[in-house]
Amino acid sequence: MAAAARALRVLPRVPSATRQLHTTPACLKTRAARVRVGKGDKLVTYEQAHPPHHIGHRKGWLSLHTGNLCGEAGAAQRAVEDAFLRRFLYGTFPGLLADEVVLKRRGNLLVICALLGRALPPHKLYFLLGYTETLLSHFYKCPVRLELQTVPARVPYKCL
Amino acid sequence: NLMGARLSGSYGDTQEPKTNPLVSISDEPETLYKRLSILIKGHDKAVLDSYEYFAVLAAKELGISVEKVDKPPKTIERFTLLKSVHIYKKHRVQYEMRTHYMCLELKYLTSSTAAVYLEYVQRNLPEGVAMEVKKTKIEKIPEHIRKPVWDTLPQVEETEVKS
Repeated sequence: MAAAARALRVLPRVPSATRQLHTTPACLKTRAARVRVGKGDKLVTYEQAHPPHHIGHRKGWLSLHTGNLCGEAGAAQRAVEDAFLRRFLYGTFPGLLADEVVLKRRGNLLVICALLGRALPPHKLYFLLGYTETLLSHFYKCPVRLELQTVPARVPYKCL
Repeated sequence: NLMGARLSGSYGDTQEPKTNPLVSISDEPETLYKRLSILIKGHDKAVLDSYEYFAVLAAKELGISVEKVDKPPKTIERFTLLKSVHIYKKHRVQYEMRTHYMCLELKYLTSSTAAVYLEYVQRNLPEGVAMEVKKTKIEKIPEHIRKPVWDTLPQVEETEVKS
């Protein structure tokens, strides 16, 4: 039970083999963002079940911005902001995130779309929504909109 | 029976002409654009296709003539990195970023039409999609080039040079 809960934790980390410090921009391709096959007790969502080479074919993008287009700047800043936002939301909604958070940037506006479980009562969710929006908009100096949707349970795609 | 009906705006304003506060009328001549070229860049081809349908439909509804819708080939930016953190130089990992393009060319617009169309189309730009706009202005020929120079100079009598 604890193993399954740990496996479904939202931020999948690249398992660092023996090193603690990554200094080169290398990423072990054969193990990145993949959930390894186990005994059949791990429930995996559609997002987690597909490895990253399926992005654009069977998967969509989780973070939509123009930084990575040809001739556009700001990719590194957006990447840092995305990493911070995912950790912040993982901590603000403890144990509630059903799937990865989708970040959309339209001009100056930052739209965060999150799927939550139904563990908290609605008034607490509204408080957390307002708190996140005000804090992040003051922090990043841009309008931030958080769009939440609650689902009864995580939707499993596969058992690995 | 009009006893209980409220008077709508059209009945109240019969004396004064109705002016829409959003529309401004000015007397300066408008700049004319021969061509308005919009280049759309994105990672997802399906998003670009649906945006193309939307932009062409918006142009048709506003009465703007679409010259052509061009789809330049995609550019792929690839880089090769080392797969491992420490050694193993022979084992690498390759990543790529694909950028799809779509070029929309509209012809013969006035500046106000162009402003309205561009504002509408830019407000509905999807996330992850970038747009570049190039406008080609039509200007009147300046006064000093109107007539050819040889017509304006006074006629010089030809004198024969005898050696």
